[in-house]
Amino acid sequence: MIRRMPWWLAGILMALLVLFTFSVFGANRPFGASTYVPYFAGILFDLSPEKYPYLKEVHFAGAWEGVMLLGALTGGFLTSVFITKSFRLSIMPTGWKKYKNTSVISRLVWSFVSGFFLIIGARLAGGCTSGHFLSGMAQTAISSMIFGGVVLLSLIITGKIFYKSEANDV
Amino acid sequence: MFERILNMFTTVSNEAHGSVFVVFMIGLVFGVLIQYSRVDKFEKIAGFAMLRDTVVPKMLFLAIGLASIGLYFMVEAGYASYHPKPIILGGLIIGGTIFGISMAILGKCPGTGPVSIAEGRIDVLVGAIGGIFGGLVFTLYYDFFKSIMGESLGKTTLVSYFNGHENLSVFVFGIILIIVSIVIPLRQEFDEADLQQLKES
Repeated sequence: MIRRMPWWLAGILMALLVLFTFSVFGANRPFGASTYVPYFAGILFDLSPEKYPYLKEVHFAGAWEGVMLLGALTGGFLTSVFITKSFRLSIMPTGWKKYKNTSVISRLVWSFVSGFFLIIGARLAGGCTSGHFLSGMAQTAISSMIFGGVVLLSLIITGKIFYKSEANDV
Repeated sequence: MFERILNMFTTVSNEAHGSVFVVFMIGLVFGVLIQYSRVDKFEKIAGFAMLRDTVVPKMLFLAIGLASIGLYFMVEAGYASYHPKPIILGGLIIGGTIFGISMAILGKCPGTGPVSIAEGRIDVLVGAIGGIFGGLVFTLYYDFFKSIMGESLGKTTLVSYFNGHENLSVFVFGIILIIVSIVIPLRQEFDEADLQQLKES
């Protein structure tokens, strides 16, 4: 049996987590997950917030999401080791082998490039799947609905173009 | 660098947005939910881009639908407040397009990526290193990116258009999303390890 929580239970619990984060009992702010990246970049490359206005802007949100991220890493690690038992070192997702190619170099180069642009895109839009989809759309924010529509469209068009439509068995 | 990392915890504890422990626990529960529901997998997110797996949109729409109704009533009761993001058309459209393309190729987003790394995915770690450089470039050339993003057209919400019928409109919005989450047909894409587990059972 695959150890997995059904989508509806995960959806309900995720809604409760978002509500707790918003509430005055929790964090009294929206849930988000992409601001920590420039914040960490600032720390790793030792950039001064005095010199770079963007670092000043994300000072608080970046720190909050940085701590949240450490929790997410811990939660993900514990669950993958003890509950889903899916922890293993791997480089190539099965789906990539099946629908793209079997080259490790290709996967790693594409990972790096798409990771780079993922953050550029999220920071341009002012949020990501967590900040805009989960928190933003729950507030019925128009900005998040625009983002949601654009992302769904470009995601599905890319899925159609980038991957093979007819896959061979692995 | 060490000092700045410590500074991160001090910043959080000095803010009125939850103690370091609460914020850490929010992240921990998030990590558990994402891992346990397995939506951090390449097959789930890239699979959704290929329309071969629908677990991600089903879960996402259900969570948003429920949260929108719950949040509205929490705001009304004074237990929470709205913090919508501004409408910056250039940023949303160009950023959203770039984000969608990258998400389909990486098979992760900024929230699910770290959870994937925590279960040992090296390709995602490489993606995260790419992301750090993305964050660096964005910080260094913020003036340029700001010119693409454009002016803010305000922080409008959908319910604010329905003056006097906010209760009803947010209820309808939430119910529609919940129904959408239920009617999207369940399609699943498995990876090798899953299929092995399936055979064993």
